[in-house]
Amino acid sequence: MQLSSVRWLLRGGAALASLALLACQPPPKPGTGTGPVSATLSGVSTSIKDLMAKRGLSEADVQGALETYVPTGKRDDYLIFASGGHGGQVLVLGAPSMRLLKVIGVFAPEPWQGYGYGGTSDAILASGAQNGRQLNWGDVHHPNLSETKGDYDGKYLFVNDKSNGRVAVVDLEDFNTKQIVTNPIVGSDHGGAFVDPNTNYVIETSQYPVPFGRKYAPLSEYKEKYRGLAMYWKFDKEKGRIDVANSWGIELPPYTQDLADAGKLDSDGWAFVNSFNTEMATGGTLDHKPPIEAGASQNDMDYLHIMNWKKAEELIKAGKFEMVEGVKVIRMTVAAEEGVLTLVGEPKSPHGCDVTPDGKQIVVGGKLDTHGTVFSFAKIKALIDAKKYEGKDIFGIPILSFKDAIDGQVEIGLGPLHTVFDDKGFAYTSVFLESVVAKWDRKTLKVVDKLPVHYNIGHIMAAEGDTVSPDGKYVVAMNKMSIDRFNPVGPLYPQNFQLIDTTGDKMRILVDAPIGIGEPHYSQMIKADKLKPIKVYAPGTNIYTGKKDPDAVESGKERIEKREDGWHIYMTAIRSHFTPDQIIVEEGDTVHLHVTSLEQSEDQTHGFTINMHGINLSLEPGKHENVTFKADHAGVFPFYCTEFCSALHLEMAGYLLVKPKGTPADPVAPPAPTPPAAAPGGPSTDRLPAAR
Amino acid sequence: MSDLKSIPRRSRPLPAPRASRWPRFAVAGLALLAVVLWAVSLLLPWWQFYLFAPQYPGGLVLNISLLGLSGDAKEISMLNHYIGMKSLEDAATLERQLAVWGVGLVALLTVGLTLVVGKRWNWLILLPALGLPAGFVGDSMAWLYHFGHSLDRHAPLNIPYFTPQFFGWGAIGQFTTYAMPLAGFWLALAALGAMVWASLWRRRICKSCPLLAQCGPTCAHKLVGAAAP
Repeated sequence: MQLSSVRWLLRGGAALASLALLACQPPPKPGTGTGPVSATLSGVSTSIKDLMAKRGLSEADVQGALETYVPTGKRDDYLIFASGGHGGQVLVLGAPSMRLLKVIGVFAPEPWQGYGYGGTSDAILASGAQNGRQLNWGDVHHPNLSETKGDYDGKYLFVNDKSNGRVAVVDLEDFNTKQIVTNPIVGSDHGGAFVDPNTNYVIETSQYPVPFGRKYAPLSEYKEKYRGLAMYWKFDKEKGRIDVANSWGIELPPYTQDLADAGKLDSDGWAFVNSFNTEMATGGTLDHKPPIEAGASQNDMDYLHIMNWKKAEELIKAGKFEMVEGVKVIRMTVAAEEGVLTLVGEPKSPHGCDVTPDGKQIVVGGKLDTHGTVFSFAKIKALIDAKKYEGKDIFGIPILSFKDAIDGQVEIGLGPLHTVFDDKGFAYTSVFLESVVAKWDRKTLKVVDKLPVHYNIGHIMAAEGDTVSPDGKYVVAMNKMSIDRFNPVGPLYPQNFQLIDTTGDKMRILVDAPIGIGEPHYSQMIKADKLKPIKVYAPGTNIYTGKKDPDAVESGKERIEKREDGWHIYMTAIRSHFTPDQIIVEEGDTVHLHVTSLEQSEDQTHGFTINMHGINLSLEPGKHENVTFKADHAGVFPFYCTEFCSALHLEMAGYLLVKPKGTPADPVAPPAPTPPAAAPGGPSTDRLPAAR
Repeated sequence: MSDLKSIPRRSRPLPAPRASRWPRFAVAGLALLAVVLWAVSLLLPWWQFYLFAPQYPGGLVLNISLLGLSGDAKEISMLNHYIGMKSLEDAATLERQLAVWGVGLVALLTVGLTLVVGKRWNWLILLPALGLPAGFVGDSMAWLYHFGHSLDRHAPLNIPYFTPQFFGWGAIGQFTTYAMPLAGFWLALAALGAMVWASLWRRRICKSCPLLAQCGPTCAHKLVGAAAP
């Protein structure tokens, strides 16, 4: 009896287990029956050869195509964040495909994202005002990704506006600009926006010296009154915003400071910025004086500025600063005395200032000199520690001996500018006048390969190239001219990004990418899997606070309220209607529109515009927007969804009725629409279920 | 040594072997197992609908549990409004509110019946276990029928009435659907299996029960597992 009971138990258990197995099977997906049919290799190669002949492609072309082609459904390995130059924007491209994935509005309004067209983002652009003037463009130069322990962490992107001395913060959680900070002291910036290895600071150094606060002083007082500045914007990693109150600067002599970089590993705590025009030429062409270009090119040497920012931070804590335009600034005399600011000669009118991945060297391109100069941080530090100076400049800043501070010089060619690095001990320098990329060995300081690029390469960028661990796979030549590369599109030519393979002994151009939006300066390339952007916002999110907006609207709570400050319209948007869809106000009334997207589905974006009011919003799933406008013209203004959201997208519309002043208070209500007996229900290509 | 052998055995007799009661306990145990399975199934989804369309590469998923809906219910409801279908949230609201009590009642009946019924009414112990999944299926199908046959005729898209497929492949518009039971439902079936097993076992026990002759609607032992009177 007992034994047979056990057998029963086992049998029953087996039956249950088989049931459980059945339950675990997922359903098959439709349309995935068979895999791709594999053609025979010879068949493929014959057709490829035909194709090559027909299209006039070389083997190298085909190889480049195969190495960069990303078929539908597959994704790029890397993302490039490129400056959009005059566009005031940041471009996001995929690599190796070099396809444009996104344009992020930063310093300029960007209508698709509804950035600067009546919504909440207006405040971001407004916060970038200088001298009380809203600036609706920026000369975007150097995007820099946030770092943790010297490696990209994929969390934030910083970018500077050279024209107006500003820095912006882009949150890579949603790829939106979240903050613009304005520098109240300087007139322009170029050495930015660079971060230290743990993103404690975003470094911004000025370019063209001006009297502090951009106040008036004649050019004859250039040496006395004009100054440069290295700004250290404190980044609050918790909040994801620059902490303006805890930011500070170091006064610099009125040499034209150029590019900057932060030290890493051995040189962490230090920052470097090169300069030109130590002659302090100010032009005067009408008075028969040499233009700045000539005046600034007289000395054989300019100065690399070496800043000990960790020590500067201590000086700030110790109160050794002055308030300038509301900013804590360490005067350069103090900086010089305390060893915070030191100079060292560098071949004339240099460009590029790039710290090696190990943090041991700083490479400066000659620009007007054929060399790349490799400074040794260890030697620089030893000289500073020993206070072994060659002399002082006219402002009393100590100068180190050039020959004692360098590891050597590389004979690169005509016009070396920027240098980037790979993981195998090679450096890649952009050579502007020669239009080549020069690859050189960091040990032997010898050029091992040169690759012609098209044309006039400015910046150069390597995959994760300015982290402590470059990936070494790709280099991008960011060429200022394209001349004959692309179809002619009028006198303003596209810029040309060229993706270069650096895995072999010889560099190879893989693909060109025309950039038709501005002149990109720098860019950075990050491994795509380091980025973890969100897909939709939590319902009712104000994207600038990151929290639910106090005026967020839930389904069923849509309403119109008349208050002291005007009409408050609490509106929702979901496929394919706005609720409410009729707004009736009187001429001169102020309207506060609070609109929430009720969508939570990936890529289901709505737009919102009201005719003739300059308003355009992007309502990504869950996003909330607030708009305030004056209904200053009587009339009828349709509003509608500006994203083709669904098959009934065109029907996603409503009316703003602005009654002329003095219209009777109780207008005739519009007749209730009679629903049609039956709407046509043909086969749909959109997200609409239709009859089966 | 031989002396030792001649030592008489202890005079006190060993106790007579007791009739084993563990099969009886096991029957009650199976009923308790069913109760546990139902309790767990309350926390799990019972049924799953997949909706595939080109715009939803990963498909949309709707999970139905006794307590509510999860997955992409909101999105599916949103899509359904185009054809004038009611919101999924409005389906089976009473059933969802009463689910815990319902399962409690089923559990109570099962345990109670298992303990008290006699041989003739033994099959009764299966009824609650059968009723729960059958009720779920029947109720769900009724709601699907109702939803597909109460389409708002003023909806943007006017389509003929239909009944969404409750099991296996179906199609609505550009959507291909697939529906199948999930863990909760399988647990309910497992509970039913446990009760089938309990009832069969029960029959065997009753057959060899010395009180078989006295067996009426209730167990002559008063409770299954109780000592023989």
